[in-house]
Amino acid sequence: MTDPCGWSIAEAARELRAGRVSARDLVSACLARIERWQPHLNAFVAVEAEAALAAEPAAGALSGVPLAHKDIFYRAGRVSNCGSKIRRGWIADTTSTALERLAAAGALQLGTLNMTEFAYGPTGHNEHWGACRNPWNPAYAPGGSSSGSGAAVAARLAFGALGSDTGGSVRLPAALCGVSGLKTTWGRVSRHGAMPLCASLDTIGPLARSAEDCALLLAAIAGFDRNDPLSARAPVPDYVGALSASPRGLHIAVSSAWIEREAEAEVGAAVLGAARVLRELGATLVEAQPPEVDALSAHCMVVMQAEASAQHARWMRERPADYSAVVRARLEAGFAIPATVYLEALRRRGPLLERFCATSLASADAYLLPAMTIRAPTLEQTGPAGGPEMPRTLGELTRLMRWVNFLGVPALAVPCGFDSRDLPIGVQLVGRPFAEATLLAAGHAYQRATDWHRRAPPEPS
Amino acid sequence: MTVKWLAAEAIEAMLAAQGIAVAPGRGGRLARGLEASIAPSLEEAARAGLELEGEPCDFALALERCKAR
Repeated sequence: MTDPCGWSIAEAARELRAGRVSARDLVSACLARIERWQPHLNAFVAVEAEAALAAEPAAGALSGVPLAHKDIFYRAGRVSNCGSKIRRGWIADTTSTALERLAAAGALQLGTLNMTEFAYGPTGHNEHWGACRNPWNPAYAPGGSSSGSGAAVAARLAFGALGSDTGGSVRLPAALCGVSGLKTTWGRVSRHGAMPLCASLDTIGPLARSAEDCALLLAAIAGFDRNDPLSARAPVPDYVGALSASPRGLHIAVSSAWIEREAEAEVGAAVLGAARVLRELGATLVEAQPPEVDALSAHCMVVMQAEASAQHARWMRERPADYSAVVRARLEAGFAIPATVYLEALRRRGPLLERFCATSLASADAYLLPAMTIRAPTLEQTGPAGGPEMPRTLGELTRLMRWVNFLGVPALAVPCGFDSRDLPIGVQLVGRPFAEATLLAAGHAYQRATDWHRRAPPEPS
Repeated sequence: MTVKWLAAEAIEAMLAAQGIAVAPGRGGRLARGLEASIAPSLEEAARAGLELEGEPCDFALALERCKAR
């Protein structure tokens, strides 16, 4: 029998509905893979084998599909460590709305996934819980902060996972691990019961093996929630139904010369190759002015640092030694940002969103660009041993991420090739607010014409 | 506009006033890091010349206005 862990969520759900496989079969298959891979990846913080095997899934679109989630999603009475020492063993008294909605759709939870401490870092390093590793090559960074989500989905340890994206934390691990990840519009998914980092920027989104699977997960979790006053009342479209939309008529903006100039050669070639595939499928490519990514990212940094530091102010005063040196240093910086600078950045947000939509998206439905300008870095290059080049490497890693969070718009990252070291390369499609359905349909069309997303990392030796 | 961020001592005093203890000399590293990361934000804001009426909540309106039709 084919290993069912190779199935997508859509395929697994179909097999479950047809009765050709049981939820217990799928959980058992995932647990066997977790046992093989976990020593190599450190993707899981906790595996809940007995609970998952005994679970009676609700009826729904995801009935019986085993998932696992970043360790920031609370469940009443269960531990959520948030990747930290400070919250090690902390038991939540509420359940995340996103997890409640997944459970209502029938999804099962295999356990909780590794992450960067308090979701505040882009690499996958974690000195409290151990670094998570990239399944394509354990010497390389899996990306963060949803590191375990990217690694577990890529290694077929879970069919999908939730992550959070405040400055790239869904898209970076998706791109580095070769899976699909959706950064949702700010407010599209309730943040209730998910560890807060920056209220103005935090978003919840799925990581899965395909755009279609992301659509299935988003369909379950999207929508207004009275427990999250910042969740949007915008109607939730039929994300799965919209996947059948043809790319004909779709206009995709791209800044080809800018990509060739700013990205490493292998990255630029793969990303522009993805644009050509979309054109061959019927989309119209429109050359567009690139967004001011550096200025927008700087605004994002101001907001992120000020809000994250305010969020952590109590612990930074009472127990600063319980943070890792790296996260503590990031948090210290936020206390030196004047309130006027923070508020001026927030005041610029609306006008800059309108400018992006009126320029880069003036005659297009989505803007296509690399997930990262550089190829995947090693864990060493992005950690304390990275030497004087380390800040520049981290800067390039995140350079094309944060501007999206500042504008609050959705972005889908999907694999679009592999570099000469056999590590994945990712492309992003950025859309207008609440245009997730458009991005997912374009990603689905691209993945029907390519097989990058179907490639699996080699089994550990 | 050339951004010169706060002096190391000023940053250390600013953090101390908020009850945040930092190692001696840390202010210099924070100053350099913030200067590099914040300068483009200040420069863009200075170029933009915001209207008096602009406020952070306008972002919610912009999200609505910029939705695909």
